[in-house]
Amino acid sequence: MLTLDGVTYRYAGSRRPSLTDISLTLGPGEVVGLLGPNEAGKSTTCLVAAGLAPRAVGGSLTGRAEVDGRRLADVPPGEMAGLVGIGFASAGLSGVCSTVYEEVAFGPMNLGLPRAEVMRRTEEALETVAAGHLAERDPEHLSGGQRQLIALAGVLAMQPAHLVLDEPTAMLDPSGTRLVGAAIAALAAGGASILVAEQKTDLLADICTRAVVLAEGRVVLEGSAESVLTDPVLETIGVDPPTRVRLARLATTAGLDPERLAVPA
Amino acid sequence: MTTEEQVEAQASSGWLRVALGVVAFLFTVVAGIAAFGQFGGGTVDPNTGADATAANSFALVLAVAMLVGMTVTLVLERIQTGHFGSLSRQFTLRVIVLMPIAIAINIVLGQTVAAALKIPIYLDSIGTILVGVLAGPIAGAVTGALGNILWAYVIPPPFQYPPAAAFAVVAAVIGIAAGLAGRYGLMRPRTNRSTGQLVIAGVLVALIIIGLAWLASVGYGLIFDTDINPLPTTDSELFLVLGYIALLLVVAAVLGVFALLFGRRDLTAAYAVVTGVATGIVAALISAPIAAGVFGGVTGAGTDFLVAAFRQAGVDIYAATTGQGLISDPIDKATTFVIVYLITVAMAVRLKARFPQGEYLIEDTDAEVPAPERTG
Amino acid sequence: MAATVTAVNATLLGGVVGPVGLTLFAVLLPAALAGVLPRLLRVGLILALPLAISVFVVNLFFYPSGSTVLFRIGPITATAEGLAFAIETLVRLLAITGALALFYLTTPIGSLVVDLERRGVSPRLAFVVSASVRTVPAILERAGQIADAQRARGLDTEGSPWRRVRGLVPLVGPVLLGSIGDVEDRAMALEARGFSRPGRRSLLWAPGDRTAERVARWLLALSVPVLIVAGFAGWLP
Repeated sequence: MLTLDGVTYRYAGSRRPSLTDISLTLGPGEVVGLLGPNEAGKSTTCLVAAGLAPRAVGGSLTGRAEVDGRRLADVPPGEMAGLVGIGFASAGLSGVCSTVYEEVAFGPMNLGLPRAEVMRRTEEALETVAAGHLAERDPEHLSGGQRQLIALAGVLAMQPAHLVLDEPTAMLDPSGTRLVGAAIAALAAGGASILVAEQKTDLLADICTRAVVLAEGRVVLEGSAESVLTDPVLETIGVDPPTRVRLARLATTAGLDPERLAVPA
Repeated sequence: MTTEEQVEAQASSGWLRVALGVVAFLFTVVAGIAAFGQFGGGTVDPNTGADATAANSFALVLAVAMLVGMTVTLVLERIQTGHFGSLSRQFTLRVIVLMPIAIAINIVLGQTVAAALKIPIYLDSIGTILVGVLAGPIAGAVTGALGNILWAYVIPPPFQYPPAAAFAVVAAVIGIAAGLAGRYGLMRPRTNRSTGQLVIAGVLVALIIIGLAWLASVGYGLIFDTDINPLPTTDSELFLVLGYIALLLVVAAVLGVFALLFGRRDLTAAYAVVTGVATGIVAALISAPIAAGVFGGVTGAGTDFLVAAFRQAGVDIYAATTGQGLISDPIDKATTFVIVYLITVAMAVRLKARFPQGEYLIEDTDAEVPAPERTG
Repeated sequence: MAATVTAVNATLLGGVVGPVGLTLFAVLLPAALAGVLPRLLRVGLILALPLAISVFVVNLFFYPSGSTVLFRIGPITATAEGLAFAIETLVRLLAITGALALFYLTTPIGSLVVDLERRGVSPRLAFVVSASVRTVPAILERAGQIADAQRARGLDTEGSPWRRVRGLVPLVGPVLLGSIGDVEDRAMALEARGFSRPGRRSLLWAPGDRTAERVARWLLALSVPVLIVAGFAGWLP
């Protein structure tokens, strides 16, 4: 259970806070979507939730940030990684592994798991992102999208109980995006709690149970995924609603009955 | 003990450690002098009565003594506190990530500049000094030494440079010097000083440079039994050229210092130059005997021909390498320190502050100083 | 693998002390056994060539205490003593570079690092070593990209050497700052993968250690102090 309560966070050297009074809970099996225009604080929220802010990036945080009842600041850094995994927007490769296999195994190796377990998790993660065929390749020579999948696999291999993903499909094509969506859904079914920050609202519509909308560092809307994604507020702050919502609205404006269009949900 | 008491206790025992470390240092120096037998080993130059080999051996003793002193301090720390506090403080995750980049910069620049361009500047310590200034003396030393070892043994050709391994000690000392410079705030920007202060600083540095150059010409003159000056009174063409080059260098250096000072209106430029010159002299004294003894004065860098020229003039190999070193190293290190200074100035406060010695690089006028990483 | 490292060390010190022909033995023979002899010769030559030329020329012509003149070129004289010294240094040099080349050719850096870590070297140190090796080409690549970008904006990089040097200068700043700016991201990525966790990590695989190699290692290690002592005792030329 990951809890943020009344969290205000300011980056070091910055006059204004990046997050103001953010409250968020992640329970087991939940997939919570995080939406908002650029610079709304989605990435910052991810860093805070994963314990990297302020510990690794400096700055000051007020409010309550806890995982399973413990303050995030009290969890030792090495343990944090196994508890809350984070996927970064811009890849996040280790930089020392010469094969994709090693790269994905990097996390489990650091956790000190027995070798057989490391291998099992690595192979499982690779299969989840359908990157088994890349196992022997050099991570530095992969395309942006491939790197993003591998970085994700690296986090998945650690099998954390909580997962924070910052735009995990930014560089992926539609089939890759679907893949990631399926992986997230499967993880949640297995009991993990997941926070996904995304611009692709279609994806969020498919996988999220709840959604939170940020704008200028504050929560402006939250609730069930359905209610948030169909709320007209989204467009006013610069977020594109899911395709079917837009289609339905267009249809209504054109005088057609959206129900009769039978647009697949 | 409360945290405050703990910090207090640590501080006082810290002084004890440093004091004992210094004692160990001095002890090693004395022992070294005794071992070398009053430095009578080398050839005494009949002209100056100066013993070039002796000077070099002494420098070597100093280097070893420094390492011994630091080791003693560390061991004591371990005994006193149960872990290597100063070590782990200096080797945070950020530093660990910076080190390979710094080492790579050393190698890339060192290999392209020194080996390929064949100019008598190496520029292979930028990474070492950067880590030293940002993270501390030991981190700097490790970067330097490890970097040299990797450069010699592990990096594949065409970037491999075998001679680098022998100079690992020199690189370590440079790292220590940089770390100390950073620790004592020598690289902290000092902007917004009056023009008067800038002028004074410029003049002082210029005087130092000119003074050193004059000393050098006198010294060389004694060794080579001739005068080094641009006036056409000397017979040897070599020294005529050398005289002109020296004059040019001095003028360029002085102009450069002033340009830096006023270009950025930052007093620290002067500190950087002087620190660099001092480090360069130390580095030259330590590396000269290595270059002479192990490689016969030839290391494949652009400086080889300078060494050759000296030897043709009739001095022995140790004096030749020392002579070459005392020309190239101060220039090289001063340039490097200035480059590192420019880099640290260009880094955002956020970036710098998270390094162990980052606070010493930030001017007091800056708004918010984030705390450095703990040993994570 | 680790045996080769020791080989390097031994040759290094052995070369300093003196018996040079012998050290060549220690390099060429294992190379032939490992089947890398031709590559070794080629790589070794590339390594040694610039150094070799400098060494040879400098010592041949500028050896101060040379008296037996061989020939003259203008104001420069070549001496027999110079030649002798030059040859001696050259052979030593070849031995050292040969050993280094052998090491490079037979030991993939990956297995060296894993071996070190298995024996108790901290994973952080292992990281620094691996990352350093990988960062050198990475920096070059970044420099290439920045150079391309600058070229697209009209920076002239071809032509006379002077121009090319000038073309390099605006490159240095962005490359350095860019590489250093990476530190933040990389540190976070490592943190997120649990790199800060104290204690040993598990390793995927480890290179084997045959008895023959172990024996060879010990022999080589012992030979170093033996040679040093011999050198001091004056047994060696």
